[in-house]
Amino acid sequence: MLFQPAIIALLLAAGLGVAALGGAAPFAWQILRRWNLASGSEGQLTMERRTYLFSSLVALVLGVQLAALLLFVFNADRMSEMFVGAMCAVGTLQVNAWGFPALVAQIAVFFAASQWLLINHLDNQARDYPLVRLKYALLLLLVPLLALSFGLQLAYFKGLRADVITSCCGSLFSGESRGISGEMAGADPRLAMGLYFGSLGLAVAALGSYVLRPAPGRGNGLLAGLASGLVFPAALTGIISFLSLYIYEHPHHHCPFCILKPEYGYRGYALYLPLFLGCAAGLGVGVLQLFRRRPSLAALVPPLAQRLAWVALLALVLFLGLSAGMVWQSNLILLEH
Amino acid sequence: MTDWFHKQRYLIDFSLAALGRRKVRNLGLLAAYSLLVFVLASVMLFTQGLRQEAKRVLAESPEVILQRLVAGRQDLIPPGYLEQIGRIRGVQKMEARLWGYYYDPVVKANYTFMVPGERQIPSGQLVVGPALARERGLVAGNLISFRSYSGRLFTFQVAEVLPQASELMSADLVLLGAEDFRAFFDFPAGHYTDITLSVANPNEVRNVAAKLAAALPDSRPILREEVQRTYASLFDWREGMVLTVLAGALLAFAILAWDKASGLSAEERREIGILKAIGWETGDVLRMKFWEGVLISLSAFLIGYLAAWVHVFHLDGALFRPVLQGWAVLYPHFRLTPQVDGLQLATLFFFTVFPYTAAVLVPIWRAAITDPDAVMRT
Amino acid sequence: MSLRPSTLALGGLALGLAGLLATWAEAGLQAQAPDPGTPALVRELGLTDPALFTEARYTRHLALSDRHAPFQDHPLGFDHFPSASLVAPPRHD
Repeated sequence: MLFQPAIIALLLAAGLGVAALGGAAPFAWQILRRWNLASGSEGQLTMERRTYLFSSLVALVLGVQLAALLLFVFNADRMSEMFVGAMCAVGTLQVNAWGFPALVAQIAVFFAASQWLLINHLDNQARDYPLVRLKYALLLLLVPLLALSFGLQLAYFKGLRADVITSCCGSLFSGESRGISGEMAGADPRLAMGLYFGSLGLAVAALGSYVLRPAPGRGNGLLAGLASGLVFPAALTGIISFLSLYIYEHPHHHCPFCILKPEYGYRGYALYLPLFLGCAAGLGVGVLQLFRRRPSLAALVPPLAQRLAWVALLALVLFLGLSAGMVWQSNLILLEH
Repeated sequence: MTDWFHKQRYLIDFSLAALGRRKVRNLGLLAAYSLLVFVLASVMLFTQGLRQEAKRVLAESPEVILQRLVAGRQDLIPPGYLEQIGRIRGVQKMEARLWGYYYDPVVKANYTFMVPGERQIPSGQLVVGPALARERGLVAGNLISFRSYSGRLFTFQVAEVLPQASELMSADLVLLGAEDFRAFFDFPAGHYTDITLSVANPNEVRNVAAKLAAALPDSRPILREEVQRTYASLFDWREGMVLTVLAGALLAFAILAWDKASGLSAEERREIGILKAIGWETGDVLRMKFWEGVLISLSAFLIGYLAAWVHVFHLDGALFRPVLQGWAVLYPHFRLTPQVDGLQLATLFFFTVFPYTAAVLVPIWRAAITDPDAVMRT
Repeated sequence: MSLRPSTLALGGLALGLAGLLATWAEAGLQAQAPDPGTPALVRELGLTDPALFTEARYTRHLALSDRHAPFQDHPLGFDHFPSASLVAPPRHD
């Protein structure tokens, strides 16, 4: 176990989060069973009051988890100098078997938390708390996810010993290695590029059409949400299989973490921040469509969804523009014309 | 959007007025909070600055240093040792070094005596480090005497004082010629302190070290990357320890914040009751309290961080000096190159703002759900 | 229109944020022009350690001291220099 401020902070955040959500769970169960807005009973009144507390508490915990993802990756990259053979975050995450699962869990927490916060925001605006049951049911699902993420992080950080020889990203993301990350690198660049630009184009088109004409049905909003969800894996595959090559100007360096390093001008942050923001907001557009029929939300959903769609559209267009620019600027020629 | 913005501004106005009504208490809280951030930030910035400086400077240190161990202690390199190394392939250049420690009873300080490899220092002359020169009041041209371990008195002339800019690395150095060194310490002829090696191919350093260890079983090779890693983690564990110790302070502060937030005075309670009676909702009260928290914690964070920056990089970490100096007499005056990184800022922000927010959440909520009639009746 | 307290407060916070950005800028500027003298001296003399703790020889040259160094005075003689409690023991084996 390494005694490092950032590690302590991450564990503290996750641990407190699990404790807070765990504390909220019995209350969530109570709401699921007994919430009745029409009743004026003492119990209902107490529950209504408590929702303020637990909504703020969960919002705080999940908000912190959004930031924790960034801190986790940042810290993994930084620690690489402490391990022989590790040159970037891949090496650090590979020091033991829990590194990558912890990262994946943290990403899952990020997206789940962002959607929960969105639903919470919507619900707080309506007079009659139409989503309160759903919100707390989802909260009950979030508890094990967050606990899993905490457990993985704890296992990962506990297993860290400085000086363990780890492999650098060169071997993990080179075409020969097995496992999911190897497959992403080995994907044919043409296919990956098609998938990448195809899904991004689809998402941008769907979001654009939603922004321009949000009124008819829920079809295009759902489509925008789905497409944004699709963008995320496609974009990661694209970054690993061809975009990183253009950035490093090296035909075999597939690492998605080295682009976060100062040598490459922190370009990774310029890519990942809009990508995560765009995907989360785009997903939100889709999620919001599920509630537009509820009477008390009918007036609230469209403006919120449209605002989110704008955010997602701008972020994804920025991401697309930046990545196309990086390919354009690069001296590497990957595909013969 | 503008509506939202105006509403928040009025809420801020209102929170400020509320804070202003209890000036002493809130200023006290702000001061304690800022002080906490200041201490944490100073520790973080200082260690980070030292680490970066060590990383930059030690990139130039020898690739391999070879010591000889006898019964677990470092011992002198005997004659003939060098020749055995010459046969190991990949070793480009090697150099036997002479250096050692000297305790100066005049100022009760330890010096590092060293024979430089390339620079020739004429017999009877010395080049001294800046902290030593300051402590003994030396300038170039002065004479200085040291009583050697054999009891004889040696007098040297100071030829030069090393530049102050390099003081972090050279504070206590005394550079002298090889003949003077051997005479002063009665150093056995043909023996050396240790050996530095440079390796032709940087990728071969580990192999060369393994070969050295095999060929000379009593030797201990120290690689540059090990030295660098040692300094990369220098203070790391203490930084963690300090944080753990300060966790007590953090906890105390969280309790203070909790107490402050929950010990609502009757007057405050009445205020909230009136606000609710005139139509504020629970959510609005929460939002007002939220702005109070944001204003206090953001100000404290910025004040503490900026003060720590000035302290570490412009006042040379004056408060740490006694801690780092320990019982040593010589302490380098050095100015760290300002270093900042997002990870540290984020960690610091988390360590200070999160506990505060978590601590005040429940008391704020309890205040916000107060029933107007319950308050006004009492 | 008189000055609203929120203007004052937000202005103050903005000023603080500007200060924070200024520290960033300062670090960036200084990183552009590091002093070359110290690395040159380190290369010339083959130095391995900063002269932070001159009180004992194993704290003066942390990188060169071995695990037994702090206990040299006599067996079981515990390390008693204050600065030894500040730094991690050398990690090379």
